[in-house]
Amino acid sequence: MRVSKSIYLFFLPGLLLYAIFFVYPTISALFYSFTDWDGLSSSFQFVGIANYERAFTGDTIFRKTIGNNLKFMLVVVVFQTLVALAFAMIVLKNTKTTIFLRALYFFPTILSSVSVAFIWSFIYDPSLGILNQVLELVGLEFLTQNWLGNADIAIYSLAVTQIWFHAGQMLIIFVAGLQAIPDELYEVAKIEGANKWQTFRSVTWPLLAPSATIVVAYTTIQSFKAFDLVFAMTGGGPNNSTEIVATYIFDIAFRSYQFGYASAISVIFMIIIAIITFLQFKALRSDRISY
Amino acid sequence: MKKFAYLSSGVLASSLLLAGCAGDSPSDTGNEGAEDSTQISFIHWRGEDKAVLDDIIAQFEDENPDISVEMTIYPSEQYQATGQRLLQDGSTGDVFTSFPGAQFEAIASAGLFEDLSGEDFVSNFDQELISVGQKDGTQLALPYQLVFNMPVYNKGMFEELGLEVPKSWSEFQDMADTLLENGITPIAFPGADIGPNQFMNSMMMNNAPDEDVFEKLQNGEESLTNEWWVKTLEDFQLLEQQGYIQADALGTTQDSAMAMVANEEAAMLATGSYHMSALLDLNPDLQLDLMAPITVEESEAVYEGINTATFMLAVNSQSEKKEQAKEFITFLSQPEIASQYANETGQHLTVNDVEYESEVLQNTAYWIDERKTRFQPRFLITNAQIEAAVLSSIENVLGGADPMTAAEEAQQLVEENRE
Repeated sequence: MRVSKSIYLFFLPGLLLYAIFFVYPTISALFYSFTDWDGLSSSFQFVGIANYERAFTGDTIFRKTIGNNLKFMLVVVVFQTLVALAFAMIVLKNTKTTIFLRALYFFPTILSSVSVAFIWSFIYDPSLGILNQVLELVGLEFLTQNWLGNADIAIYSLAVTQIWFHAGQMLIIFVAGLQAIPDELYEVAKIEGANKWQTFRSVTWPLLAPSATIVVAYTTIQSFKAFDLVFAMTGGGPNNSTEIVATYIFDIAFRSYQFGYASAISVIFMIIIAIITFLQFKALRSDRISY
Repeated sequence: MKKFAYLSSGVLASSLLLAGCAGDSPSDTGNEGAEDSTQISFIHWRGEDKAVLDDIIAQFEDENPDISVEMTIYPSEQYQATGQRLLQDGSTGDVFTSFPGAQFEAIASAGLFEDLSGEDFVSNFDQELISVGQKDGTQLALPYQLVFNMPVYNKGMFEELGLEVPKSWSEFQDMADTLLENGITPIAFPGADIGPNQFMNSMMMNNAPDEDVFEKLQNGEESLTNEWWVKTLEDFQLLEQQGYIQADALGTTQDSAMAMVANEEAAMLATGSYHMSALLDLNPDLQLDLMAPITVEESEAVYEGINTATFMLAVNSQSEKKEQAKEFITFLSQPEIASQYANETGQHLTVNDVEYESEVLQNTAYWIDERKTRFQPRFLITNAQIEAAVLSSIENVLGGADPMTAAEEAQQLVEENRE
């Protein structure tokens, strides 16, 4: 069948939007990363790769933010995926209770991040917060913490909030993936005498791989851009312990007025995310399902 | 193609970061119906002042029927992030406000301040308090509010316990010990948000009486590892170790700290005069005043407190309605209008002949003329990354680090960010 060339015109609106709102800003960021533009002045100087040199060799905080981001990402990706998968298996069947539970688990996702930050800042408050009060009430005083004020644990406290915020969203993806697995395969596994773990390992997990790939990739990207939650709950503190690359870019661009340098960090950040996402796709090999 | 998709997802994530920088929507008010009038745009960050400013704008429009004012209020973080960018094409912010320090410097560098030197309304302001709006001999902005960034204390509680305002560091510690013996936390410190950047000012004011100390730090003539800053960090450490500030202070927000003072669990709030009205709203029976810790011996003390002239009114140099914008600033600087603003917002102002009616403003007005205060040192750090390094050293010490180690780490950041 011959396709008329005019069909390509239908790509044009989307392509234009993509070019204007994505390609152009990205190329601009790359351009400005080689300048000392302050974001306000009409003039700037080309500084070559000085901004990149500074990021890699002369900026302690940037290196710290990369470390913080990786810690945050690892905790969120591992635990959010496990929590979402576990809950998805619990609410898999379509009954009134499970449909209600799915809605309940999904509920945090529809909240604005500022609301979530407000709720969890209150939960974590060392003196008035519910978390420490509940721990004291049940005799677990030794577990009470300064959840957001202790530089050693603050990033993990934020990760828990992030998991609470987004696990419901991932649960829906897993539920859809699980429901798409043919019942016949489970029946065969049962006839073959497979136990629950063997069934999960040999049937459920391989067929869930495409969903898992989406969940892991999306969670990774989400955890890298958790700007609003971090900004509203800790502002990157105490002592930069929760400063992530996104909040640092904001600081450099909008508080220090170093748009050139902020652009360079953004480009580096973009490359890091692209590499991690690529490696995840490779590792999960979602396009190769074997029986 | 697949690789491109992977790359695209990464690129998309980065671009979304910038979307994440957007905050709450700004609120607009103004007279949009006056067809024959010239509309000017007034932008600022003081959402809590909206009601009184709406009323003042209505009065201005009555007196100046050919000018209408559209006021747009941005959350302060968003204002710092986007305010100056809005000014660039001249269509927004004919009259705008600026923070002192880094934002003022950035806007001045971009040439967005109209030179107000020689304008008649400049003489309506206290000349000693408006120097912060000057650069290279020109008056670029006029600070409107005068705040005292030093602890608010429960004067009634002090009187009940027979305590006097300490005049030296040893007296301060004796006072704090007495409060502790009476089951009261001496200082409620909101370490999770504004505590470090507010309390550092009074904690260091006499350890480093040289007002150029941060300018010297920025140009390499001073170091955070020198006596003045290490002692300041040691003083913070002492407050934490002796229990003079509440436990888990770095996790305490300003709301929680205010609740401690309002409930009389704590005697002092380590923020500033701008919280006095809110404290009285929470507990109208409180008697409040201001007190900065004197961290040296009485004979060595140079300053008694900290002031900040802020909410700096300015005219956009890109505006095509500069005359109308100046009319509005003239109106705001009239004593009766300024008095209305001061009394309804609970703020001291830099405008001459303001009549303070509220008890708390009257009781603390003596700080304007009778006490030796210095301009907030933090705002003299014009490099935001250096400011962040200074503040992080305080958080580091309150988190348990050794003061010298914290000072050394912060100094390394200063050196990395020196321009």
